[in-house]
Amino acid sequence: MAKTALVVDDSPTMRQMVAYTLTTAGFEVVEAEHGKDAVSKVTGGHKMDLVVTDLNMPEMDGIALIKELRKMPSFKFTPILMLTTESSEEKKKDGKAAGATGWIVKPFNPELMLKVIAKVLPV
Amino acid sequence: MSNDFAQFKDAFFEEAGEHLAIIEEGLLQLEQSPGDLDLLNKIFRSAHSIKGTSGMFGFAAVAQFTHKMETLLDQLRTGQKTVTPVVTDLFLRATDCLKTLIEAAKTDAAVDEDTVQQITADLEAMQSGEQPAAEPTHGKRGETSGTDQISSPLPLASGPSSGMHHFVVDWTPPSWLFQRGLDPLQVFKELAGLGVLSNVIVDSSALPDIADMDPENCYLRWTMDLATAKEQAAVETVFEFVREGSALTIKEGAQGEEPGARDNERGSSRSPRAPGLPPSESLDSPQPIGEILIESGVVSRDTLDKALSQQKRVGEILVEQHAATPQQISQALQKQQDSAAHVKKGTDTASIRVDTAKIDKLINLVGELVITQSMLSDLSARFEISQLSVLLERVAQLERNTREIQERIMGIRMLPIGTAFSRFPRLVRDLSGKAGKKIQLLLSGEETELDKTVIESIGDPLTHLVRNSADHGLEPPGERIAAGKSEQGTIHLNAFHEGGNICITVEDDGRGLNREKILAKAIKQGLIAENDKLGDDQIWLLIFKPGFSTAEKVTDVSGRGVGMDVVKRNIEALGGTVSIKTALGKGTTFTLKLPLTLAIIEGMTIRVGHETYILPMLSIVESIQPKADTVKTIVGKGEVMNVRGTYHPMMRLYEVFGLQPEYKDPAKAILLILETEGERVAVMVDEILGQQQVVIKSMEQNFRKVEGIAGATILGDGTVGFILDVRGLLELARHGNLVAA
Repeated sequence: MAKTALVVDDSPTMRQMVAYTLTTAGFEVVEAEHGKDAVSKVTGGHKMDLVVTDLNMPEMDGIALIKELRKMPSFKFTPILMLTTESSEEKKKDGKAAGATGWIVKPFNPELMLKVIAKVLPV
Repeated sequence: MSNDFAQFKDAFFEEAGEHLAIIEEGLLQLEQSPGDLDLLNKIFRSAHSIKGTSGMFGFAAVAQFTHKMETLLDQLRTGQKTVTPVVTDLFLRATDCLKTLIEAAKTDAAVDEDTVQQITADLEAMQSGEQPAAEPTHGKRGETSGTDQISSPLPLASGPSSGMHHFVVDWTPPSWLFQRGLDPLQVFKELAGLGVLSNVIVDSSALPDIADMDPENCYLRWTMDLATAKEQAAVETVFEFVREGSALTIKEGAQGEEPGARDNERGSSRSPRAPGLPPSESLDSPQPIGEILIESGVVSRDTLDKALSQQKRVGEILVEQHAATPQQISQALQKQQDSAAHVKKGTDTASIRVDTAKIDKLINLVGELVITQSMLSDLSARFEISQLSVLLERVAQLERNTREIQERIMGIRMLPIGTAFSRFPRLVRDLSGKAGKKIQLLLSGEETELDKTVIESIGDPLTHLVRNSADHGLEPPGERIAAGKSEQGTIHLNAFHEGGNICITVEDDGRGLNREKILAKAIKQGLIAENDKLGDDQIWLLIFKPGFSTAEKVTDVSGRGVGMDVVKRNIEALGGTVSIKTALGKGTTFTLKLPLTLAIIEGMTIRVGHETYILPMLSIVESIQPKADTVKTIVGKGEVMNVRGTYHPMMRLYEVFGLQPEYKDPAKAILLILETEGERVAVMVDEILGQQQVVIKSMEQNFRKVEGIAGATILGDGTVGFILDVRGLLELARHGNLVAA
């Protein structure tokens, strides 16, 4: 069965690019515009194999989303990768403290992204 | 960075445009409420988005510039700096600069490097301005991340190294490992991908009693040997995500160290050996079969090359088997190349972003259409006359479905006009600065939707009208006060639906059009004769004549005498009209009336002889059944018709198209008064059949251009009806010397 990934980014272009990369790698992709949208799309016990989320978003940002997801039983052990332009330790620390599994630094290309995903998910 | 994300560039440019608009709008609002944190965050997010996404496409100049803006914006939102007019001014200039940078990325156009550098320097100066240089500030750190982001986030394995390294890895992951979605197995797999992983030993001595154990925690520790050609840094990278909270040592051990020794030393319990993990799968495309055969030693490269050289093309095989002629093959090849070229060209086409809800609704409707269709075919398969009422009901349902789908599809092309309005707050701000006037801009009806093409085409005409109002319409503050008005002038942009059209008004409370001034100017320019008698409406329309300008001096803003005529021409090219209402000393209102879409028009079907034609409703002023004495012939100029004292040129449609009419006597026929670009013509037809929406099919694309015909459409009975081109008819009337006195 195809793996399902949740892609959260307020930029439609970024969403498209991430979704495209994941689709070519055989994922089924659910897209969300921001944290709130993402939460509404997974409440009701939808399980995801992977979450890729931006950090800077309206409504609910990435850090808050990761915290929310980790509270849900179905996302307790799910790999959550954050997209970040900051390679600063501070952002990574915030994300990790919230429960993020890892990070992908923008800009990236499909190959690089899949490489990072391979770190956290059996392919 | 070259990658296959290139296909998303268009989406990026579209999105960047939206973000630029958000930034600009936000900055203008920020001037009104400098402390608004939500607003600052919104601007910051947009800048941040442009930065992140542009980097993805390798637009380094855009990314670096946005980074500068972002850093300063961050200082503003964290309160390290306050929003002052100087700051917003700089940001507005920076936004303009960013616009040109993005445009340059899009079109490969040259950028004014000086301006970019100047603004970059200004941003940097502002950023460091009030800041203590000693402490490692946020801004400084942002600087480094700016350079970092262009580089690769994962340190890649260092280049060719001298021989193999043997590492001994000792790793105790944090207990919360699993709760962050991390899996030790992934780490081992990745390590195995670097080389040969052996002696993977788990130490489970820290495992508590089963009663005390939290199954969600990790209590294990691993040691392992790794033989790899990579450097230590590459091995460390594997642990990138698990490093924090781990106890990790990676030591370069002596070659061929006895693994057993370590085991004893640790006295750990031994787990079953991890089975030889396969190197992580390659993400590249599969190897060609030939390459695999060579690698596994089944065939040599020579043998393979020989075999490949014997491989024939499909075309050659088909020709040999007489299944096709060489000509047919070469034609097919040509077609293949053409379509390849076409696909390439196709990527340039414009895109439109559609709300998924709209698509979902459409898919539902198509579902309903399919159901209706299957019910109908079911009915038709075993139809009896007694089921007639059922049939009619189904057909009505089909009609409903079709109409709704049509409306929804049109809706996909519809965008709120707010996107066209969004440029005006900035424009008016700049204009009021330049003209030394206080101007307030009011916008309303931004949510009114109309066709994307129309929106894109009305931007320039609207800009011109707004400039015109700011420059000519509104008076300077002194003059306004003297006239008993408030010092601040108002320009009001409004959009609303009216029938099948959209109306956009540009209203100012300025001095209004001056009848005498316009007349004097028009006479001076030779646009009218001195003794011409013109009604007010006709005088106002003079300002749309080419070369007309009443501004006493040419200003930076407008008044070069080009424009108003272009405004009118552009609007009319869209099938719309412009009208003016004005009161001296009170103000002027320009009203643009536009069709909602260009693909479908509201038409009046008319009949001449046995032919049916369609006239655009927008161009019809009135229809008249004339008295015999209202039509007169002027020698050498053709026929004219007297409508309440005004003479209009008259044309008999049957003469234009060479038809046999029902009536040749105007008193029995019907005359339609048509108007375009302020000129009127009376067209004689046999009968008005009705009013309906017609879908325009292009003449040029399907046949060729025909004088006096704007397009064709399929009528309800399946025949083709021509849509008359009123402008073209007027031209025909003129060439036929039918012009009135």
